[in-house]
Amino acid sequence: MLFIFIVLPLVVAGLMPLIGKLSKKVIPDLLTNLTTFFLLAYSVIVGKQIIFSGVYTTKFSWFGEPMNISLSLDGFSLLMLVTISVVSFCVTLFSIDYMEHYGHKANYYSLLLIMIAGMNGLVLSTDLFTIYVFLEVAAIASYGLVAYGIGHNELEASFKYLMLSAVASGFVVLGISIIFACTGSLTFSEVAIGIHLVNAKYLIGFCAALFLMGFGLKAALVPFHAWLPDAHPSAPAPISAMLSGVLIKVSGAYAIIRIFLNVFGLSYPLSTVLMYLGLISIFVGAIIAVGQNDMKRMLAYSSISQIGYVFIGIGTGSPLGIMGGLFHILNHAVFKSLLFLNSGSIERSTGTRELDKMGGLAKQMPLTATTNAIGSLSVAGVPPFNGFWSKLLIIIALVQTQHYAFAVLAVLGSVITLWYYLIIQRNAFFGKPEEIWRNVREAPFWMSCATVILALLCILIGVAFPFVIKTFLIPATNILASGVSYLYNFLGY
Amino acid sequence: MANSTTLLISILLPVAFAVIVFLTPSKLRLLRDAFSFIGASIVLCLGFYLFGVKNAELNIPWLGMDINFDLRLYHFNSLIIMAVSVFLFLITIYSFVKMKEHSRAREYYTYLFLTTAFVNGAVLANNFVLMVFFWESLLVTLYGLIVIGNKEAYKTALKSFILVGLCDFCMILGIGILWYLTGSLNLPISPLEPDTNGLAALSCVLMLIGALGKAGVMPFHTWIPDAAIDAPVTVMVFITAVLDKILGIYLFVRISLDFFVITMNSPLSMFLMILGALTIVFAIFMTFVQNNFKKMLAYQGVSEVGYMILGIGSATPIGIAGGVLYMLNQTIFKSGLFLSAGSIEHRTGTMDFDKLGGLRNKMPLTMICFVICAVACCGLWPFNGFVSEEMVLHGAMETSGGIIFMIAGWVGVIFMGASMIKAGNSIFWGKENKELSKVKESELLITLPIVVLALLCIVFGIYNYFPIVTFVEPIFFGYAGFFEHSGFTAHTLNFFNPVAITSFICLLLGVVVYRYGWAKNNKSAALSSEAVRNFPVLKNIYNLAEAKIFDIYDQGLKFLKALGYILYYGVDRVVDFMYEKIIAGTVRVVGAILRFAHNGYYANYLAWCIGGLIIIVAIISLLS
Repeated sequence: MLFIFIVLPLVVAGLMPLIGKLSKKVIPDLLTNLTTFFLLAYSVIVGKQIIFSGVYTTKFSWFGEPMNISLSLDGFSLLMLVTISVVSFCVTLFSIDYMEHYGHKANYYSLLLIMIAGMNGLVLSTDLFTIYVFLEVAAIASYGLVAYGIGHNELEASFKYLMLSAVASGFVVLGISIIFACTGSLTFSEVAIGIHLVNAKYLIGFCAALFLMGFGLKAALVPFHAWLPDAHPSAPAPISAMLSGVLIKVSGAYAIIRIFLNVFGLSYPLSTVLMYLGLISIFVGAIIAVGQNDMKRMLAYSSISQIGYVFIGIGTGSPLGIMGGLFHILNHAVFKSLLFLNSGSIERSTGTRELDKMGGLAKQMPLTATTNAIGSLSVAGVPPFNGFWSKLLIIIALVQTQHYAFAVLAVLGSVITLWYYLIIQRNAFFGKPEEIWRNVREAPFWMSCATVILALLCILIGVAFPFVIKTFLIPATNILASGVSYLYNFLGY
Repeated sequence: MANSTTLLISILLPVAFAVIVFLTPSKLRLLRDAFSFIGASIVLCLGFYLFGVKNAELNIPWLGMDINFDLRLYHFNSLIIMAVSVFLFLITIYSFVKMKEHSRAREYYTYLFLTTAFVNGAVLANNFVLMVFFWESLLVTLYGLIVIGNKEAYKTALKSFILVGLCDFCMILGIGILWYLTGSLNLPISPLEPDTNGLAALSCVLMLIGALGKAGVMPFHTWIPDAAIDAPVTVMVFITAVLDKILGIYLFVRISLDFFVITMNSPLSMFLMILGALTIVFAIFMTFVQNNFKKMLAYQGVSEVGYMILGIGSATPIGIAGGVLYMLNQTIFKSGLFLSAGSIEHRTGTMDFDKLGGLRNKMPLTMICFVICAVACCGLWPFNGFVSEEMVLHGAMETSGGIIFMIAGWVGVIFMGASMIKAGNSIFWGKENKELSKVKESELLITLPIVVLALLCIVFGIYNYFPIVTFVEPIFFGYAGFFEHSGFTAHTLNFFNPVAITSFICLLLGVVVYRYGWAKNNKSAALSSEAVRNFPVLKNIYNLAEAKIFDIYDQGLKFLKALGYILYYGVDRVVDFMYEKIIAGTVRVVGAILRFAHNGYYANYLAWCIGGLIIIVAIISLLS
């Protein structure tokens, strides 16, 4: 059953170039949206039922022969699956109108679906090597998507991304090899026990560092972040939304959290490193974002800053901190993809991403202005929007674990965040209407539809946060907060 | 039970009429007037009925926590309710003509009925929270009623809102302390002794500020003269001349009888008497130099509050009784005066003395009523003002240091007389203003209330036994030490006693003061006060007063402005500087450095990654 999450998008992706020969637009649009919608519905409804009956594991078999590939769905995976599905559904919806002028829609959808399949596989996998495989699946699709515009900048950004990612993947493979050498296995549960038995503290520490560098690069943690500000703005807006919204979290944050918390166990050094990396990311991302003039670049730096909050929350190791971090993953996926989609709406309507050229667009694009304001307030952590609650949880957790300085700095980072989002809001939407934008029109229907859904989600999650916490976050947190013992109990043993 | 329901009706009925009047479209003026008339009539009947009932109680559980919807009717508040209903009726009749053309007449009537409802609630309330609830609601209607006036009225409305609100706030604080001391919000409570208990004294003073501030004691009086100019004259009569005095003095008497034991010659009593004496003297000096009739009446009203405080503050039975009687009489003659002022304004359109003159033949009825109310106001025998003034002065005489307070009272009498003669001569006698040659007597509906009030002045003066025995004396039944004094009319009715004769001489002195100024200033009545105005030391004080140096509202605003200035430059700018220069500056500089570092070279970025990896490996190794 879980294979549907991987197989369905892969099959559709494989058919897509062929379908593209038959129909340029309608069938690819329809099919892709149906696929993503099905994945969303399936992840919410069926996934929820699976969760009620505990962790669900399936083993892949080929003509009755077990293939030693198993997928498992637990609370944490489900949270990520839902996040991926929500964002990818909105992104495909947005793409219907937005990708008109790029051409080759079928190919684009094909790549996008491969990326979705890769991410779904990543969050469902139960061993280190499968994680690596799906990481590469998603990454390769994303290289292609970043370069999709085939301009000079796009190609350069994509190439830089590819080269840095390749290095990261190399280190990840190196880490996996060392682990395999030490423990003789790659499944999470066996590795967890093996690490316990071999007692090779420094070697494991070295592996952890390798993973941190490898996955941290995917997650764009400072100082491994340098590819992101080039890659994300270069991609088409829906892809930026996808990359910033989910890819960096799935291939970076999810992998780190899963491996560190469930496999290695969050030891004091790891916790410290995670928290400091988070803090540095928050500030470096936010401070550079303030000075940006390119809207998408500003959003990209903001992603670095926000991913810092996730890691600072996880790094506390307390259940509340983990919950805050996970909640922030979900929230950031919603509002950052919303903001990137809005930047796409603006770019499509005005043809520019430069903030100082915009101005007074609120009158011409009221829907975009409103949804953008909601997204901005969410990301800055203004109540009652969703971003507030996750940041609040993280800050409370920091105070509870007596990291007072971190708490204060986290709040300060939030203030800087508000600062540059106000810059966007003021420069783009408010202020004196520029003469040249007089004939600008609101984004087309499907684009607006996608942004409105996400904006509503920002409000809904913010208002109904107890429901979200109860339904999705507590199961996920339970998995992570129980640490390594979770694996002893459920997986394989 | 039937009577308990009536208590609730006495509050709900005016509210109902307020709603009805409010819902009547502005265009249907006659219908609205009819509704108002019916409402006022029913309220009037209800007032008399309740005065006849005297004793009733109503208990409805309300908010819990000792806060119940408890109403209690007894002699004192039934008197208040009756008086208010009488004035409501008179004012309503008067307003039919006076407020006819006013664009906001609908709101005006609504507020009038609401105010009545709130007053009834405030005096009936047998629970502090309930009382405060109604008391504060009055603040809102006060604001609403003053705003109805001219274009500048909103400023005055705000001023009165803030000043009265300040007093109310003090009262709430006082009630809070009282609650802390007695542990009960329900009345009655056993009276506390402020002479021996510091906290009780504080509570008493705070509540007194609330009560007296409402009545318009110095220095909380400054909104009243402003309102006299800006608010409609009917509002001035109903609110400042009647309700605020009645309510303020009612609470004052309740405080000094029911909540606290204020003994004669105690520090608190002395404080109150000094306050009263100062209010009399300062306000009356301001009264005399006014050149606007309504403003003069407003200042005079403040001075009269001084007499009431002097009487009640003396803590002697006769003084307290005199104070209450003064309150009753003052509402009669002061509203009579204000209404005649309104009548004059209605026909001439001005209230400035130098523009008026020679109206005695044109508005004879108004003139006669004015004269009656004016002499009553001056305390001339045998009008009603005489009795109450004498009782207050006798009360003051019984205290130690009484002679000083009596002198203050007599100074008040001198200038009260002088200013009334000045007003009368400026308006009704003297040279006729040519622009006013076509002025006629006001309509019946305007003169009728004035005539009623003037008649009351005479009746209550000559037959002063009636108000004393019927209205004032029963208030003190049940209070130890008061009952044996029930014959306190005995020596006041007699004109031939040293106090009364001195008062009369003072009144004559007032005539002399007026005459002197009149002769000195070209025989102009309006300028007759110039002699006092330019008197050496007084001149400086007047100049300061006219510059609003003594106005705590203006001074408070200045203080707040200064505070705002200090806070702005001392705190706000400093924080702003810190933020602007330190935080924002740091962000900018660091941002520039970081942006410079992101130069787009792959090798550079790769180097960071490797460097980061090495550092992380080092840290993890070191920490584990």
